[in-house]
Amino acid sequence: MAGYLRNFFRDALGIFSRELRLLVTDGGVMIIFVVAGFLYPLLYNYIYKNGVLEDTPIAVVDNSCSSVSRRYLREVDATRELKIAYHCTDMNEARELFQARKVNGIIYIPADFDDALARGETAKFSIYADMSSFLYYKNLLIGSEFVMLQEINDIKIERYSFEGMTDQEADQSVYTVRYDENNPYNPAFSYSIFLISAILMLIIQQVMFYGMSLAAGTMREENRSFATLPGAMRNRGVGRIVLGRGLVYWLMFMAIGLWITTVVPAIFRFPQRGDFWDIAYLVFIFVTDCVFFSMTWSTFITRRESVFLLLLFISPVCVFLTGCSWPSCAFPTFWKYFSYIFPGTFGARAFINMNTAGADLVTELDLVRAIHIQTMVYFVTACVAVYLENFVIRHRDEINRALIEAHARRRARIQEHGEKLAERLERIRRS
Amino acid sequence: MDLLKSIIAVAGREVRIWARRPIYLMGSVVVMLFCTVFYLSFLKEGVPSDVPIGVVDLDGSSTSRLFVQQLDATQIGKVVRYDSFAEARRDMQSGKITSVCVLPEGFNRDIQSFRQPTISYYINGLYLLGGSLAWKDLLLMSNLSSGAVQREILRKKGVPESRIEGMLRPIDVDVHQIGNATMNYGAYLANMMLPGMLQMVIVILTIYAFGTELKYGTSRHLLEISGGIGRAILGKLSLYTLLFTAIGFSLEVILYRWMHFPMAGHFGSMLLGIFLMVLASECVGIFIIGCVPVCRFALSIGSLYSVLALSLTGFTLPAEAIPGPVAIFTWVFPLRHYYMFYVQEGIFASGFAGWYPYAVGMLCFLFMPYLVLRRLKHAYIYQDYNRN
Repeated sequence: MAGYLRNFFRDALGIFSRELRLLVTDGGVMIIFVVAGFLYPLLYNYIYKNGVLEDTPIAVVDNSCSSVSRRYLREVDATRELKIAYHCTDMNEARELFQARKVNGIIYIPADFDDALARGETAKFSIYADMSSFLYYKNLLIGSEFVMLQEINDIKIERYSFEGMTDQEADQSVYTVRYDENNPYNPAFSYSIFLISAILMLIIQQVMFYGMSLAAGTMREENRSFATLPGAMRNRGVGRIVLGRGLVYWLMFMAIGLWITTVVPAIFRFPQRGDFWDIAYLVFIFVTDCVFFSMTWSTFITRRESVFLLLLFISPVCVFLTGCSWPSCAFPTFWKYFSYIFPGTFGARAFINMNTAGADLVTELDLVRAIHIQTMVYFVTACVAVYLENFVIRHRDEINRALIEAHARRRARIQEHGEKLAERLERIRRS
Repeated sequence: MDLLKSIIAVAGREVRIWARRPIYLMGSVVVMLFCTVFYLSFLKEGVPSDVPIGVVDLDGSSTSRLFVQQLDATQIGKVVRYDSFAEARRDMQSGKITSVCVLPEGFNRDIQSFRQPTISYYINGLYLLGGSLAWKDLLLMSNLSSGAVQREILRKKGVPESRIEGMLRPIDVDVHQIGNATMNYGAYLANMMLPGMLQMVIVILTIYAFGTELKYGTSRHLLEISGGIGRAILGKLSLYTLLFTAIGFSLEVILYRWMHFPMAGHFGSMLLGIFLMVLASECVGIFIIGCVPVCRFALSIGSLYSVLALSLTGFTLPAEAIPGPVAIFTWVFPLRHYYMFYVQEGIFASGFAGWYPYAVGMLCFLFMPYLVLRRLKHAYIYQDYNRN
């Protein structure tokens, strides 16, 4: 038993150093690891640093020129979301500015606005929002509607008083129900916090997958796949290979993972509400999951380049599958199950919840459990993949021979069939 | 004539390579097919409905039940009931629900006696779309229920029905969403994600097409057939341009003719736009393989480049919110020019006068291959870089 263990660890260590040498000397892999693993997290954080769009420029056309409309526009200008960049005399002028993209929205107050207010009717005005980015729309809506709600309540109190209510009565009737809003995790609805968290976790998954596929593809191209190794160990080395190779990536990505989840958010002063050890444990299981995930799927990569040609597109798809943008409750059924293929689906959600919403491992039990199950499944599939590849390599000659024989048999059969057919045709023609 | 002959010869050689190795068509047609199916089916709802909203009803009166029922009946919201706030908060923290709404004890009694009860909302802003929709829904519901109570009060006061409307809603706003009137999230994203994926495919496949010549040492053969690096590039690109343009045109047809996504301008102009983007992206691919004539390196760089393009195009986070030093680099992606082109044509319908700067921008990319022509030729002749 002790001897077996000694052998096991010696072999695993040998495979470990072989894989490590291979990675470090491979420029294509290292550039991906260094740039995508270490620099991209910084770059993405930098790109999304501002997160919220402030002072979106708008044009206003105020045809009513009343005190209410002026007050309203002044308050709109004072919001964080909007900035009145142009006061236009008519809609044509505003539309030109809109088309030239000098402004991203228009507020149009018609001439009868004030009259309607004076008559006690509903006064209407219009907003035109540039939908080329939904953030413009969001700013325009939040900025103008919030000021409007305030304005509405002031006018209501005025009108209620007019109906003979006392100030207190009017206030009680206008605010029959008060509400109190809290947005504890992302008060400004910042764009960066949620997207960055998802991207950071996916970087771990995707970079590892591409790196491992590149390495595996290179070895297979050169006919020295790691799967040939069990041959030297009397076909018992599947576990050693999976663990030995896995350890290389595991160590590298624990470093990258901790860098991404703890140091990078600290550099950019993103909220870090989770407990450090909870996050460390999450990184631990997530990286382990990613190792076996990458090992399983990189089995299908027979050439070095094919991973970029065939699977680069999956990265943005994975971002959507985390549910950070389109809510996971609205996923079509097929894509919901499809998303379970990727560790990032669970990992990114757990990281967002823990790091930003301050959840702990117990709260995230479902996701953590899912990652554990996924790890076990992918460990088994990774072992099976090595075993099968080894089997195919060992029996390549036999398999090739069998294929050639089958092909020959099929050809003979076709020929025979053809001859029979020709004979029959001949008979028909004669008769 | 001679030029045409060599172009045809190179293109013919390329067709034979395609036939031998399915990866070229897999990496373009099949990948784009998957992406089209994914983005169009994943976002087919347009606007999410039945977003889970947690409700803790501490009152349990008929009024609070009515409020919960009406919240549940809105198109956006779907109510999940909880007995305690702690439970609801836990589910919000783990992202199962988008928000929690707490109806306080004595809600009904306080309304009846004008004591102005307070409904508390807790929004999970981390899942941005779900959170903001739930927030909007909750705001709407509380304003509506408040309005219903006010209407009753005004009726009791004897205010004529014709004036109640003006009392309840003295100001109303009419929102016009230019370019996407239904606020279709699917159209918004697919409009740019699909051309973005096309750019990715083009850059990668172009690098690969020129890189494999080095990798398998067939570059001299290519030069012999074509009689010059310029002709080799023209010959290869003629075939790839056909393929990518066909894919690009199909995308436009699918987006604006089949799915009927909003398109204010001319469909023909969008075809021109995507055609220019195809050309520009190919030139980027050649530029990368020319700078780094090693297939493995160039592909890694091309991948890093194309993934970054999706964030820097500015259709989600607008370019003006991107910090200055990086914002300049948004223009090195053809997709950014295509996006601006689309905004002018598809949203504002401003025609040639609106989009020509971006068309010129995309044409500028066509000069990029000239910068690396000599370097690529050198590499093709001497093959003195690392093969792999």
